[in-house]
Amino acid sequence: MRSLLLQVAAVTSINLKSLPQRRWLSLSTVVAVALVVVVLLAFLAMANGFQRTIAGSGAADIAIVLRAGSQAEINSTVSRDQVRLIEDGPGIAKGSDGKPLLSPELYLVVDGLKRTTMTKANLPLRGIGEQGAALRKGITISAGRMFSRGANEIVVGKALVREFAGFDLGSTVAFGATRWTVVGIFEAAGNVFESEIWADLPVVQSLFNRNNIVQTVRVALTSPAALNELKAFNDADPRLKLDVKSEAAYFAEQASQTSDLIQKLGWPLAIAMAFGALAGALNTMYSSVAARAVEIATLRAIGFGGFPAFVGTLVESLTLAAIGGVLGAAATYLAFDGLTASTLGGNFTQVVFDFKLSPALMGQGVGLALIVGLIGGLFPALRAARMPIIAGLYA
Amino acid sequence: MNDFDLIRKNLFRRKLRAILMIVSILVAFMIFGVLTGFYRAFTSGEDQAAADRMITVNKINFTQPMPIAYFNRVKAVEGVKQVTFANWFGGYYQDPKNFLMTLAVEPASYFSLYSREFILPPDQLQAFIRERTSAVVGEKMAEKWGWKVGDRVPISSNIFTQKNGGQSWDVTIAGIVKAGTEQVDTNFMLFQYAYFDETRTIAKDTIGWLILQTNAPADNDRVAKTIDAMFANSSAETSTDTEKAFGKAFAAQFGNIALIVLLVVGAAFVTILMIVGNTMALTIRERTREIGVLKTLGFPGPRILKLVLGESVLLALLGGIPGLVIAALIARTLRNSVANMAPSFAVSPEIALLGLVLMLALGLITGIIPALNAMRLKIAAALGRG
Repeated sequence: MRSLLLQVAAVTSINLKSLPQRRWLSLSTVVAVALVVVVLLAFLAMANGFQRTIAGSGAADIAIVLRAGSQAEINSTVSRDQVRLIEDGPGIAKGSDGKPLLSPELYLVVDGLKRTTMTKANLPLRGIGEQGAALRKGITISAGRMFSRGANEIVVGKALVREFAGFDLGSTVAFGATRWTVVGIFEAAGNVFESEIWADLPVVQSLFNRNNIVQTVRVALTSPAALNELKAFNDADPRLKLDVKSEAAYFAEQASQTSDLIQKLGWPLAIAMAFGALAGALNTMYSSVAARAVEIATLRAIGFGGFPAFVGTLVESLTLAAIGGVLGAAATYLAFDGLTASTLGGNFTQVVFDFKLSPALMGQGVGLALIVGLIGGLFPALRAARMPIIAGLYA
Repeated sequence: MNDFDLIRKNLFRRKLRAILMIVSILVAFMIFGVLTGFYRAFTSGEDQAAADRMITVNKINFTQPMPIAYFNRVKAVEGVKQVTFANWFGGYYQDPKNFLMTLAVEPASYFSLYSREFILPPDQLQAFIRERTSAVVGEKMAEKWGWKVGDRVPISSNIFTQKNGGQSWDVTIAGIVKAGTEQVDTNFMLFQYAYFDETRTIAKDTIGWLILQTNAPADNDRVAKTIDAMFANSSAETSTDTEKAFGKAFAAQFGNIALIVLLVVGAAFVTILMIVGNTMALTIRERTREIGVLKTLGFPGPRILKLVLGESVLLALLGGIPGLVIAALIARTLRNSVANMAPSFAVSPEIALLGLVLMLALGLITGIIPALNAMRLKIAAALGRG
């Protein structure tokens, strides 16, 4: 047993030390595997970043009330009467003044110009109630101040200011015939609210001719469990006919569609490319075995077994793949991690998000690389192990 | 034995190696075919946009409504040949997952403006104009749900509420629309605006967007300026742009798809280029002695160059052409499932042609250095080395 291990160690070290002799072929396999990993990880980092931005936005103890069947805020309508009915519902937290903590909101789409391309993009303008900002966790005004009630003033999310032109503090923005002043910039811990513009609800309603109509109501619950009480209350009243869900559940739904799509695109592409890289790896390893035919046969002739030749070749292949995988992961991290992008989200408006590479994703990338290395090394290794001594010596 | 036989025999001397190369080239061209096909379909709105067609939307954003009165006012603008309008319905069938691309339109003017794109038998068009609660569906949608002329179907909206409190409208299918050109996607439903407007509870007497045709593309600028000036300082200012520019701006909203496609296709090609290039170099080095023999026999340098380049080009074609064929098959299979986002997803003749050019380029680039080395080889050195 011990001698077998020693043999394996000896052959493996000979293989690895002779790598520089096959420098170019080995390098091409490393780079091919690295490119496969880069493509896979770029997609996964995009899906992950999008998912984190949206799913991280929802709280479990906030309920969001929408029109039944509307799926997204943009499609929903809730009347003023329905808002009043909800105010009396159970499970709603009360403020210090004894009033229920909730915010009726109107969600509109306005145009903005993307800084990088100067093309028009859909941006969300949200008219929020008095409690609107307080109902969202981690909101801080990082520059300027909150809008005054009743004025044509807006506060803008940090990510939106970064990606879209014309929303800097103090500037004036025109939506149709009305002009608005940017009086503050807010941060929201990198979540989806940072891609929004907020203004006072009654002002937005009157300037956009949406009097008496809101789209959603955000409600602070006394506890996450109180959601069921509110749901039961809604279901029992035929005047309501609304959908009540936790904000966390709502955003999880919103995030899953787009990030699923990105992932479903990324994996098949990476696997298709992995087949290409596999061909390269097999080629490299067969050449490696062919180049070392005399060497392998000599070792066999002086008493080395087939198994060490097998392991030695496999380890060489796995080493090349692992180097490729790590290089690819490192390159993706350097090139893509933290890169800001934006796309249309579930509400038909732009969501600004960062590519986010996690250790788990990097693990998946290196894992794919190792699979390429394993399969790419397996058959050449078998050939090395079975090589007839005489044929090898004459090669 | 002619040169082609020589090339073919050389290529398959090591069968396994040749097959591996062919597989990796096949994969690269499969990725190329599928991605560029998807990209083309995604941006095809731009290609089918007529030069004399423009779109007027609310200046705030195209999802904001405009008064229906704008329809008649735009019609009267000089240089406007014909106008129609549409309103997004947010339709689905039975379950919100069954998305139906549904628009409420004014039948006569809509079909008159899109006469080139949509083909509807005159009697079916007349029925659509006559019956308030009728609808027409595109061929693809009709096929998907098995709808026939005369069927009565309830369509629901995830935006609007019916006067009767429900979210669904009953429509009778008056006709099936066929595509007038290859790029037109027929996965849609159109129903009467009059019926829709009368029965909805919010945003009455408003429309989503106007589509207009000018007398000539040269009039576009002037017409756009006239229309937008007409509604300036009103409660709903407008923005008028060519159909092409509008489509382009909309596609840009999904993010930089072009960049992603380029990145992936580029990465796949660099990978393959390296693998194939290295193998070609290896193959030629192995054959050094043989090339020396050929030269001794009197083969001139250029002919050897041709033999080696021919081998790498043949390799690229053998992998690339099946790759494009597989891509075309994949596109055909996926066509329906991505129809909402990228209609008419296919590997078009232009893509196939570009693919062929790339195959030739791949063959030449990977073969050129080994071929030059082989051509310049000195006979004595070659025979001595082997």
